[in-house]
Amino acid sequence: MTAVQKRVLINKIVLGLSTLSAIIAIAFLFWILGVLVMKGVGALNWDIFIFEGSPPGYAESGLKHALVGQLILVSLATFIGVPFGILAGTYLSEYGKNSKLAHAIRDISDIMMSAPSIVIGAFVYAIVVMPMGHFSAWAGAIALAIIMIPIILRTTDDMLQLVPGTLREAAFALGAPKYKVIMDVVYRGAKAGILTGVLLGIARVGGETAPLLFTSFNDNFFTTDLNEAMPSLTVTMFNYAISPYEDWQQLGWAAAFILSMFILGLNIVGRLILFAGKRK
Amino acid sequence: MASIIDIKDECALHVRDFEFTYKGAPAPSLKKVTMPIAKHSITALIGPSGCGKTTLLRSFNRMHDLYPGNTYNGEIEFEGRNILGAKEDLIHLRTKIGMIFQKPTAFPMSIFDNVAYGMRLQGIKNKTELRDRVEKALQDAAIWKEVSDRLKNDANGLSGGQQQRLCIARAIAVEPEVLLFDEPTSALDPISTQGIEKLVIELKEKVSIIIVTHNMQQAARVSDYTGFMYLGELIELGHTEELFVTPKEKLTQEYITGKFG
Repeated sequence: MTAVQKRVLINKIVLGLSTLSAIIAIAFLFWILGVLVMKGVGALNWDIFIFEGSPPGYAESGLKHALVGQLILVSLATFIGVPFGILAGTYLSEYGKNSKLAHAIRDISDIMMSAPSIVIGAFVYAIVVMPMGHFSAWAGAIALAIIMIPIILRTTDDMLQLVPGTLREAAFALGAPKYKVIMDVVYRGAKAGILTGVLLGIARVGGETAPLLFTSFNDNFFTTDLNEAMPSLTVTMFNYAISPYEDWQQLGWAAAFILSMFILGLNIVGRLILFAGKRK
Repeated sequence: MASIIDIKDECALHVRDFEFTYKGAPAPSLKKVTMPIAKHSITALIGPSGCGKTTLLRSFNRMHDLYPGNTYNGEIEFEGRNILGAKEDLIHLRTKIGMIFQKPTAFPMSIFDNVAYGMRLQGIKNKTELRDRVEKALQDAAIWKEVSDRLKNDANGLSGGQQQRLCIARAIAVEPEVLLFDEPTSALDPISTQGIEKLVIELKEKVSIIIVTHNMQQAARVSDYTGFMYLGELIELGHTEELFVTPKEKLTQEYITGKFG
C-alpha cells in the first residue's frame, strides 16, 4: 500500500466513523421525539385544558392547573428577568466595554449559565422561601429569572456590539445624547438579536424542574395566587409520570408533549427572527 | 516652516497652535496646527495616510470625546469662543458642526425618520414643520425625486450613493454652520461620487465645508482652499489652484506630483 492509498483509507475510515456517530446522536433525538409524539398525541384531549388535577381514577381530570401555573411562572420570570438582562447587557456593551468590571461580569454570567439549576433553586429557597415561611409562585419566578438573566445579558451584549460603531458616531454627530443613541439607534439595530436572546432565555427556563421543586413547589389544584405554591407543567409531569396510576401517567405524557412543543416553538421562532435579521 | 495663507474673508473657524494626543500615545498626532477655515467655502485636507487629516477633522466636532483619555491643546475658535473648553456643550456644538462619514450611516429606521432625527432631538414635534423641513433637506441633498414616494420605507434599502445623500440631508436638516466630510465618496462608485461632489459645491452657499479626501483630483475639483498635511503638521494652506499649480513648499510639490504618498 502506498502512502497516498493509506491516507485515503484513513480518510475514509474517519469519515465513516464520524458519520456513524452523527447518525447515532440524531437517532436518539428522533427516538425521543417519536415516543413523545406517539404517547403524547394519544394522551391529548379537550379535558386536559378544562379540568384541573384530581385524585387518580376520577374521570374529570386535566392539566389546566399546571398549564396556567406554568404560564404564570414563566411570564413572571420573563417580566423580572428581561429588564435586568437587557439593561445589564446594555451596560456591558455601551458603558463597561473592556473595563475590568465588564469582563468580570461577563465571566461570572458565563459561569452562572452552566451552574446547576438545582443550586439556584436552593439559593432562592434560602433567601425567599425561608423568610416567607412557605412556597410561592414568586419564589419560583425569581429562581427562573436568575437562570434567565445571564442568557439574555450575554446575547444582548453580543448583539449590541455587532451594531457598527460608525452608526453610534453618526447619531452623536447629530447632537444626540448617549441614552438617545442607545435607545434610537443601537437598540433598533439589534432588536432582532435581542428578541432572539429573550425567546431562547424563555425556552431555557421553560423546561426547568429542579429549581421549582424548592420554590413554587407544586399543587394539584388551580390557583392564581402568587403567594401560594403553584403547579407547573414540569413538576406536575414529574409527579404524574412516577405515579403508579395509568390515568396520571397519561396526563404526564400529555404534559411532556405540550411542554416540548412550546419550547421547540420558541426555539424555532427565535432562530427564524435571527436569520431574518441577518439576511437583511 | 509651514506656508499658511491669510484669509481676508470672514472665517468660520480659526485653529491656533492646535495639538491633539491620543490616549497613551507618547507624542501628539497633530503638532501646532494653525489654520483659518473660510466661511461659505470648501476647504480640503489632503495628505498621505496617517498624516492626521481625519484626526483634525474629528476635532472640530469633538468626536474624540467619545473615547476617553485623548487630550486637546491650543485653540479652535468657533462663534467667538474656544470650543476645546471643558465647559463646551458638545450636544449644541454638534448641531452647529455636522459630520458626514466615510461609509453611509443610515439609521435602521424609515427615510423620513432618518432625516427628521436631528430635528426631533431638538424638540421639534410639529408634524407640518417636520414634513416641510424633511422635504426641503431632501431636495437640498438632491435625493427628493428618488425617495419622495417611499419616505416610509427602510433607509437601508437605498443604494450606497443614495444613503450618503440621505446622510447629507439628515445633517443639513438641522441647519448647521459647518459640515465636516470624512472621505465621503471613498465607498462609492464614480457616478455617485460625481453626484456627491456636485452637491458639496452647491451646499457651500449655506454652510462652510471641510472635506478630508484621499483623492487629490477630488480636492482640486471641489475645494476653494486646500491644506496639505504631513506627519501631523499642516505643511501648506492655500487657494486650491495655487497650491496645485505653484505650491510654495517642496513637500507639497513632491506629494502632488506623486513622488510619495
